[in-house]
Amino acid sequence: MDPKEVVEHLVALKVMRLTKPALISPKIVTCDSKDLPGNILNNYLKDDATSVTQMETLSAGQFLLLPQSFGNIYLGETFSCYVCVHNETNNPVQSVSIKADLQTNSQRILLTTQQNLSPTMLDVDETLSDVIHHEVKDLGTHILVCEVTYMSNYNTLASFRKFFKFEVMKPLDVKTKFYNAESDDVYLEAQVQNITSGPIILEQVSLESSQQFNVKSLNEVDDGISVFGDVTLLQPQESCQYLYCLTPRENISKEIKLLAAAKNIGKLDIVWRSNLGEKGRLQTSQLQRMTPDYGDIRLTFEKLPSKVSVEEPFDFQCKIVNASERTLDLILKLRSLQDSSLLWCGISNKKLGPLEPGQSLNISLTALPINTGLCNISGVSLLDLFLKRTYDYDDLASVFVY
Amino acid sequence: MDNKPSLSQYFGDKEVPPASQFFDEIGTSPSDMIQSIYLGEPEGNQTSTGSVFPQNMTASFTQQKMSEEMNFTNVVPTVSTAAAVPATSLPDPSTFFDTIGPEPQIVPSKTGSVLANPTILTEAMDGLSIKNQPVDKEADRRRDAWLPNDEAKKTLMKAQSSPKGSFFPEREVLTMPGLVLEEELADALQEVAVKYLGVSSAGSRGVVRAEHVSRDEAGLRELLRTGYLRAAVNLTHVLISAAGQGVGRMHRPTKHTPRSLQLWLTRFAVMLRIKLNEPLVKEAEPFGDFSKPDMFYEFYPETYENRTGSLVPFSLRLLVAELPSHVGKPEEAVDRLYAMLDTIQTMLLNLREGKTEDGSATIAEQDKVESIRLWMGRETRVMHSLVNCAIAMKDYRQAATILLTLQQQASSAGQRRAICSALCRLWLLAGHVRAAMSCLDIAREARHHICPTPDVREYVDLGLIDIAHGKYQEAYNNFARAADQEPTNIMVANNLSVCLLYMGRLKEAISVLQKAINSDPERGLNESLLINLCTLYELESSKTNEKKLNLLRMLCKYKSDTIPNVLECLKL
Repeated sequence: MDPKEVVEHLVALKVMRLTKPALISPKIVTCDSKDLPGNILNNYLKDDATSVTQMETLSAGQFLLLPQSFGNIYLGETFSCYVCVHNETNNPVQSVSIKADLQTNSQRILLTTQQNLSPTMLDVDETLSDVIHHEVKDLGTHILVCEVTYMSNYNTLASFRKFFKFEVMKPLDVKTKFYNAESDDVYLEAQVQNITSGPIILEQVSLESSQQFNVKSLNEVDDGISVFGDVTLLQPQESCQYLYCLTPRENISKEIKLLAAAKNIGKLDIVWRSNLGEKGRLQTSQLQRMTPDYGDIRLTFEKLPSKVSVEEPFDFQCKIVNASERTLDLILKLRSLQDSSLLWCGISNKKLGPLEPGQSLNISLTALPINTGLCNISGVSLLDLFLKRTYDYDDLASVFVY
Repeated sequence: MDNKPSLSQYFGDKEVPPASQFFDEIGTSPSDMIQSIYLGEPEGNQTSTGSVFPQNMTASFTQQKMSEEMNFTNVVPTVSTAAAVPATSLPDPSTFFDTIGPEPQIVPSKTGSVLANPTILTEAMDGLSIKNQPVDKEADRRRDAWLPNDEAKKTLMKAQSSPKGSFFPEREVLTMPGLVLEEELADALQEVAVKYLGVSSAGSRGVVRAEHVSRDEAGLRELLRTGYLRAAVNLTHVLISAAGQGVGRMHRPTKHTPRSLQLWLTRFAVMLRIKLNEPLVKEAEPFGDFSKPDMFYEFYPETYENRTGSLVPFSLRLLVAELPSHVGKPEEAVDRLYAMLDTIQTMLLNLREGKTEDGSATIAEQDKVESIRLWMGRETRVMHSLVNCAIAMKDYRQAATILLTLQQQASSAGQRRAICSALCRLWLLAGHVRAAMSCLDIAREARHHICPTPDVREYVDLGLIDIAHGKYQEAYNNFARAADQEPTNIMVANNLSVCLLYMGRLKEAISVLQKAINSDPERGLNESLLINLCTLYELESSKTNEKKLNLLRMLCKYKSDTIPNVLECLKL
């Protein structure tokens, strides 16, 4: 760790990262008892302390092996290490203490020890040790600095430091996509990709919605069973796609201004585990959607049946919202286009309004389908009397005529 | 007991006392048996006789009878004859039962001189062997059964139909192995001991032992049993060379016999154990997947009249199929294992239809039951290998799928329990703690059918789940409960020690492991346990050398040459 150290210190410092231990199995070599080696090799296997009785040929052992390398560490995991100071001399050493801190690119964190490590006397061959835990919240280079202080033979305080450098890597890649539905619901598709070097289990993926939305997870079937089955195991580079439906809270859906401003969707909270339960947890930053541009007027169809019988009139609602800053005077026009399969019933050129900013208006419409098949609801237009501008709404919805 | 998935189950043999292994396959003529008799110094002879033949010989044969082994039931009455022969006049009993198949032996001459009293010897052999009985053809067929692929089938047809002496196979259909590893392997433990402890304290026991066994299968077994694994590899070198498949014989036509393949099996099995993977892969390569026609009895109609199946022992086939997974290519091993599984399942299908394994003839009911039992056992063994490969690839989904299939096939509560418990640990490896817990629940349910209270396995599994949750104190408590039940269990002690470290109690962790080793050095001086202990030593202090050398001294005292890499274990 520090080969240049010239001064012979009275105590030695050792540090070991405590990742989860591994489960080890013996080398499984078996023979038929009629073979030349007979049962000799089988008996070796049976007598091996790492084999599991009656399951000797399966390498799912119960024997724990201590970590043999530093391994990788990922953002959101907990860095644990064992710090041990040992008296290397034949005499007691006075006032021994350890201090550990962690330096990242941006900050310096004092690591709290579990025991109160006030300076103590170390007798011959005694150790002062502790386990340190720290949840890693930064990416990139980290340096663990351990400083040991003790009373030297000359009754002065001596100290030395050791540095342990490691890189914190990104464990997951999260890609999101938003769909703004006509109904004001927002659908969020979140793709969580495992970019660690080993398989991980996604233990929990949830969306904590913002104040403006209520969230419904679409990743379970009716009785709460995950659509991914029992196991959300991701091999390296594999990803899992989660779908959420967000409904604006009532106070927001009523006000088109607030709706247009509701950009914050929420945060994804992800808990994963890897080797022998090594746990990690990450929360994304606030996810933001692109809000749709409603223009001056927003027109939506409501209570529209999905299928209707041919040559039988059907009713639905048309909702008009004033998304502008001024009061609107509008005229509703219903035109039966030439190639349309739909004939309008009722009054065209009907004057609507005045409509105050932010206010909405519901109008009942009746149409008669004359052809079968999928049929676009077209021919609805609004004339703004102030700007003398016509808005056409031809592709907002369709019905199936049979 | 036979419901439990023990090792022996895969090979169709019920638990047999160790002595039985010397009496397996017996050559057909007395001269065949005599040839491999040990010719070395008398004291060496005595040592091996003593250790090989248990004092309570009669007792072990009675046990044999109990084990319902068909072959041996009729042997028992004559046992007294054998026991009556003075031990001194008996050649090493392990030696004359080695020959597997009637092929010529290495040292055909000089054998007569050993036979001071041929009558006694013959009597002894009669007593111990099944020489005078008809060979159990069904058992042979069952054990050797294998299906040649279409390519091989054509050649085999030709071999069978050609008039005597007129069948000359093409080079392409031949398996042409040869030794690759040339140098003699030194006793690894001995070497390390000499280097670190000096010649005097290392002793020379190992060398003596290796040189004083007979140069034959019995000697080989003696080396295996006493743990001189590298010496055993050296001896297979000698024996395989004598069989004409030595260094430089690769890619040259050779004669295969069941015996030569048994030698290869022994060599490969030991090489795998001591991790001589690289030369092992090279030496196994010419065998391919043992599908060449010269690996079948039908290829040699003159030598093995009417015998069917493969010369290749099932364990060798399996070992070579698994081999790629030991050298970082588990995908390749999976392909090979599935090919094996396919053949086994075809044979099982034939058996269930009331036919022999190869589907060529009908089969008696008792024979069928035995065959199905054997091959289902082997099927399970292959599936275990597949699970192991999947675990090696960290493909836990695949491993779990296979284990679930095995769980559904499990016929007893004990089996079901063992598999659920394995599944629990599989999910822990993957980090799926919730699944692990529900598997443990199922395992617990199955355990209720066996014993009312939690046993060691359950406590340990519980402890492992606690570790996954990071609750080391709880884990410690569970391991401690397991230790209450089995205070000498090395694995439990080891897990306790690991817990103690994570709880910040290094000194105690070390003392638990040291105690475990001292209480049972034979089992305690385990590679993985040594690695753990030396890791703890290194964490504790920078002055670890003396402690490690102490471990080395213990290894020299209690173990022989079985550990693949002593230096790595002791971190020297």
